[in-house]
Amino acid sequence: MIKLENISFDHCIKCTVCTIYCPVARVTHLYPGPKQSGPDTERLRIKNPELLDVSLKYCSNCKRCEIACPSDVKIADIIQTAKWRYSKKELRIRDFLLSRTDLMGTFGTLFSAIVNFFTHLGMVKYFLDVIFKIPSGRTFPNYASGTFTKWFKSVRKYQDNYADKVIYFHGCYVNYNYPQLGKDVVKVVNALGKGVIITKEKCCGVPLIANGYIKKAQSHGRHNIKVLSSALPDDKTKIVSASSSCTLALKHEYPNLLELDNSPIINNITYITQFILEEFEKGNILRLKPLSYTVAYHSPCHLERMGSAAFTIELLRKIPALTVKILHSECCGISGTYGFKNEYYGISQSVGNELFRIIDEAKPDFVVTDCETCKWQIEMNTKYKVIHPISLLAEAIE
Amino acid sequence: MRYDCIIIGAGVAGLTAGIRCAKEGLHTAIISSGMSALHFSSGSIDLLGYRDNAVVYKPFEAIDQLTGTIAQHPYTKCGKPLIIEALLFFKQECEQQGLFLFDNGNLNHFHVTTLGTLKPTYFSQRSVFNEDVYSRFKAMKKIVIINFEGYRDFHPQLAAAQLSKHSLFANCEIVAKQIEMPQLQDDGKYPHEFRSIDIARIFEKEANIEKIADLIRLAAKDADFVVMPAVMGITNFNQIHNKLQSRTRLLVYEVPTLPPSILGMRIDNALKSRFAELGGVYIAGDKVVRADITDDVVNAIYTNSHPENPMEAQCYILSTGSFFSGGLVSEFDNMYEPIFKLKLHHEPERNKWYNQNFFHRDSHAFLQYGVLTDESLRPYDSNNNIIQNLYCSGAIMAHYNPIKEGCGSGVAISTGYKAAGQIINLLKRMS
Repeated sequence: MIKLENISFDHCIKCTVCTIYCPVARVTHLYPGPKQSGPDTERLRIKNPELLDVSLKYCSNCKRCEIACPSDVKIADIIQTAKWRYSKKELRIRDFLLSRTDLMGTFGTLFSAIVNFFTHLGMVKYFLDVIFKIPSGRTFPNYASGTFTKWFKSVRKYQDNYADKVIYFHGCYVNYNYPQLGKDVVKVVNALGKGVIITKEKCCGVPLIANGYIKKAQSHGRHNIKVLSSALPDDKTKIVSASSSCTLALKHEYPNLLELDNSPIINNITYITQFILEEFEKGNILRLKPLSYTVAYHSPCHLERMGSAAFTIELLRKIPALTVKILHSECCGISGTYGFKNEYYGISQSVGNELFRIIDEAKPDFVVTDCETCKWQIEMNTKYKVIHPISLLAEAIE
Repeated sequence: MRYDCIIIGAGVAGLTAGIRCAKEGLHTAIISSGMSALHFSSGSIDLLGYRDNAVVYKPFEAIDQLTGTIAQHPYTKCGKPLIIEALLFFKQECEQQGLFLFDNGNLNHFHVTTLGTLKPTYFSQRSVFNEDVYSRFKAMKKIVIINFEGYRDFHPQLAAAQLSKHSLFANCEIVAKQIEMPQLQDDGKYPHEFRSIDIARIFEKEANIEKIADLIRLAAKDADFVVMPAVMGITNFNQIHNKLQSRTRLLVYEVPTLPPSILGMRIDNALKSRFAELGGVYIAGDKVVRADITDDVVNAIYTNSHPENPMEAQCYILSTGSFFSGGLVSEFDNMYEPIFKLKLHHEPERNKWYNQNFFHRDSHAFLQYGVLTDESLRPYDSNNNIIQNLYCSGAIMAHYNPIKEGCGSGVAISTGYKAAGQIINLLKRMS
């Protein structure tokens, strides 16, 4: 029996606009494009799961097809669901490890010096390439020497000085790889006169979804909805995140893909730049000192999918003396763990080429973007450093 | 977030309005849910192609006549001087992005459709078969219409057969040819899976152009004129066109294909880039779902992605298109405008919406349905009150038939331009 709410594929008028804007279909013909992998073949799969065309595995879930679709078809959701519902399950150690960001992070931060040393060794990379099919060309993000949550314990007591609170969903990247971004978030939120609450969150589930561990992603989702909603002191309190993909997961992937009821938190979840702008509009304006840089802003796919890139652009424009060059919206190609797999590595690099080219053309002092994996991809492929908009804002706070 | 002006819909009307507002220094945002009808268009700009089922050669004379007789027509609300100004504005803004539009002075010209018929239009892209080419054409004896083997969205035999029937081409030999592009099979994909976009991407790779040109030359060496499907790239089409012509030493021109329309995407691309260049904020993939209106003034609008966070502006432009784009919604026995619940011009009885004969000369009544507005393009709400800071433009407007009159883009450009002008004047007066 087909659930009535899942027949958005039936609204597809076969216009092919999604395939035009698919970054993967643009660079490889191995992928027939979102129209064919999504709504076209969904009706076949419903009839008989044997009719699965495995080429849909090339979808990187960037969701640009959904942005382009004039008929509101949830193309990427159809493809992701089909991937795990109909594909043969193979146990792959690599996919297991790549998707367990919290497990790997706990280990990585404990032995960060050793782990970071080894993951940058040519020999180790060669070994990973041959055994695990993780491309040797890929640069690994470093693990931090201590987690964000551990640092946060040292500042938790100051947070009670603020009557108003904000719940911060920091995500795995901030916790294990780059606590500085979390510290910047706390600095900015405090500067706005609000205290920060963090919960015992788990990974939002994005890498689990990408690697087909849907059950696990659902259990993470249920956990997160529970801890976040029970930490909410009232309806008005915001749950902010500085990761575009975590925000997308909490807000959209939970109900649309994982079929979880996130209604207790959906209206509270706000991407951080939107939250700050709203505070500014209420008159709670940060005093910012001029930063005379020229930055190139890259809008991540998942932020665009939420219609939230405009908030970051608007916020950057509020920093005095900052010159912001808005890059033409292009996918960077990494798509989370997608670019960490041998079979997609070439595609991932080809997708990003256009973005790398326009970044070089813009000649900025550095690049600004909201997404951690976009940052890795851009830093690996251009000579520019990539900074999160919140870190820039933190720098501008007097 | 607060703006001076928020435009809902990013088709020809919304983008024209957005460019004009941004150019005047207004803080402007465009919210778009999905790509516009440009992706399905011919890529030519029709001003007024038909009146009373007859072809129009002099569109401005026909507009004079029309504005004198149909009081409610969007062209009447704009007036001829503004329409002329708007068209010039549109042409110049496209030129800023390297998209050159051909016009035939004040006259219409004809472009060849994908089926080989001739259709009156006002602007065509430089690489499209047009009047200028046609005048050079008279002395010529042979046209070769080529296609790429396996490409299913263009049928040169059909186009050739239809074109031969036309009196203009009575003394001309028209031949259909297929060429095989080795690049098509490079990675094991069958050419019949190719759509216009795939071939356009092959054209966009510089290394391929010379090879393709040589194949065209081989297939059409004795032709005076080569016609091919419009696949000469989306961004670097000028260079591709020049290169093809110089290498083949032939006159090579394009005709529109079935969607996706590469010609339409060039316009889409040019207008969006121009809007961004002028500092406009473009929000893609979000849908405006409701508005907050008090005392006939729109306070805020809300989107699908941000149902609780208002987007506010001093003025708003509604350019969400007609039924196809979701600007108007029809159900079994009623129709409505979904965001503001505006007053519509339409017949209540369903059986009056359409004509039993699909190709009837009188077309279909529903194509005339849409939002009612005053002279300044402000719409009426369901209580017949004018909404003070909302303006309408493009296909959502009532009292014109874009198909029957061949005036869709012209109305979009004129009303988009006018709506922007109203807002610019209003905000100037207020400050």
